[in-house]
Amino acid sequence: MIKIEHVSKRYRTIHALQDFNLEIPQGTIYGLIGPNGAGKTTLIRILAALLMPTTGEVWFGQERISRSPEAIQRKVGYMPDFFGVYPDLTADEYLEFYAGIHAIPRKQQPQLIHDLLELVDLASKANAPVESLSRGMKQRLCLARALVHDPEVLLLDEPASGLDPRARVELRELLKTLQGMGKTIIISSHILLELAEMCTDIAIIQGGRLMAAGSVEEVTRRLHGGRQLEIRVLGRAEEAINLLKASKGVSNVSEQEQGLILADFVGDDQAMHTTLVSLITHEIPVISFAPRSSGGRLEEVFMSITEGSSLS
Amino acid sequence: MTFSALLIKELRLRLRRERTMWIIIVYILLMGFLGWFYLSRFSTINGYGPFGLANTGISLYTLLSQVQLFLILFITPAFTATAINGEKERQTFDLLLCSRLTSFSLIAGKLVAGLTNAFMLVAAALPLFSLVFFFGGISPQQVIWALLVYISTTVMVGSCGLLLSTLLNRPAVSTAVTYMIGLAWLILPIILYVILLTTGNNAGSNQPPTLFIWNPIIALLSTYTVGSAFYFSFGSIHLSPWISYIVLCLTASVIFILLSMKLVRPGASTLAQRNRLLRPDKPSVMA
Repeated sequence: MIKIEHVSKRYRTIHALQDFNLEIPQGTIYGLIGPNGAGKTTLIRILAALLMPTTGEVWFGQERISRSPEAIQRKVGYMPDFFGVYPDLTADEYLEFYAGIHAIPRKQQPQLIHDLLELVDLASKANAPVESLSRGMKQRLCLARALVHDPEVLLLDEPASGLDPRARVELRELLKTLQGMGKTIIISSHILLELAEMCTDIAIIQGGRLMAAGSVEEVTRRLHGGRQLEIRVLGRAEEAINLLKASKGVSNVSEQEQGLILADFVGDDQAMHTTLVSLITHEIPVISFAPRSSGGRLEEVFMSITEGSSLS
Repeated sequence: MTFSALLIKELRLRLRRERTMWIIIVYILLMGFLGWFYLSRFSTINGYGPFGLANTGISLYTLLSQVQLFLILFITPAFTATAINGEKERQTFDLLLCSRLTSFSLIAGKLVAGLTNAFMLVAAALPLFSLVFFFGGISPQQVIWALLVYISTTVMVGSCGLLLSTLLNRPAVSTAVTYMIGLAWLILPIILYVILLTTGNNAGSNQPPTLFIWNPIIALLSTYTVGSAFYFSFGSIHLSPWISYIVLCLTASVIFILLSMKLVRPGASTLAQRNRLLRPDKPSVMA
């Protein structure tokens, strides 16, 4: 587990981070969301032991960043928000260089490089110059580079910025594979949908302060006072709306378009089930009944937070 | 291991650049042209007797070796003065810091790669120098001494460029400052010497003033004569200028390299040491 304790970072008069506290459980994909200049990159650079906090401490298990930065750098794979490639090298030479400077024995390097290129789906580009690769391919190559020393934690700063939708989907799938391999992944982004799709947990940062943190559902529920239900019916929408209004925990019921009803909902899964049963019992022709995707909700939450209201 | 990985990468990058090939071609053509021009114009002045040919050989060698010294002085900074800040500009420096590269491996790898390029020029020009032996007048021993002066000059200028690339953030600035320092190093003693002569100091001495103890031109000139005609005295020790020059160059290089190693990894370890006494040993339990 990574524990960030009372971390502050000051650049002369600018406070990039202020009394920042966060726990990142092992094996999660943790998203750091915030507008430009919120302090995401500063936090990621501190986690990569490239910056020392002005005050506070970061713990990786029992190891602390202020005391053993080199040991922590061995546990971390860092991918900055720029490619950082040597265009004159080929993809396998690029990985060979980073394997070398991470002290991977030379005998193990060819197999490792082959496996990494397979993992990021660039095996066919092993001998291609890095400069000939597309943006998405370069991003995947950089991810392979960050994995070269088999780190426990991956720090990805704006990994999907500038990628086309296909490359973004490929990246998301790749991150899920890596999570399946037991890696803890910390991603920063200012694109909410991107993080909502990829992350298990999120932290919302603004002005160097942590505004909210937890699982995507949890944060949305906590900050928005609940979930939003999206119900589609084949008919009898009016009757359905009245039933929903009478149900416990349901509020703000409205018909958005023909047969599509949105309603705010506060309660656990059992309460949601009870609401659905009530609709079915009254023979409302329900064709779908589900909480609205977190992405859209998260966007509303994020917008309300970053408007300047502070959370208690 | 990390050092060799960095060195291999640097050599791959440098040798694949078209610029490297063009530098070697222009360098050899320039040296060759100067040699050809000298021989075609002045080879008959000394006549064709054994002494005449030897004098032609000495003059040709003097010309080529001085030109080579100037070329080394002004080409070497291009190979090392952007080594560290070039990585910062390319935004790859953080990735190097996150690796297991030690400060020594990083600085040594960059320096050796830069110097390899400069030495390649010296080696490429050796066949031209061998022409001198057709005429005679120059011994292999003198060529080896001159070679040692070249090598120590290259190492010193290279390590100075590397230090400046560690200190200054912009590659263009560090390159320009390295050139300015090189120029001042070469010319300032001569200007000061002229001032001393015109003010009447140092008059009557047939030995070079101590001002020139660290001057590459004087060092190279002293390699032309076996059993050196002039020397620097330190008590009972008499050193030929090229020997004292090499000692000073290597000392300065070691200082520049140590400073570069100290400056290249700012923060982490130093702060870690400072923080060791100030912060608790276990994470607190967060609410």
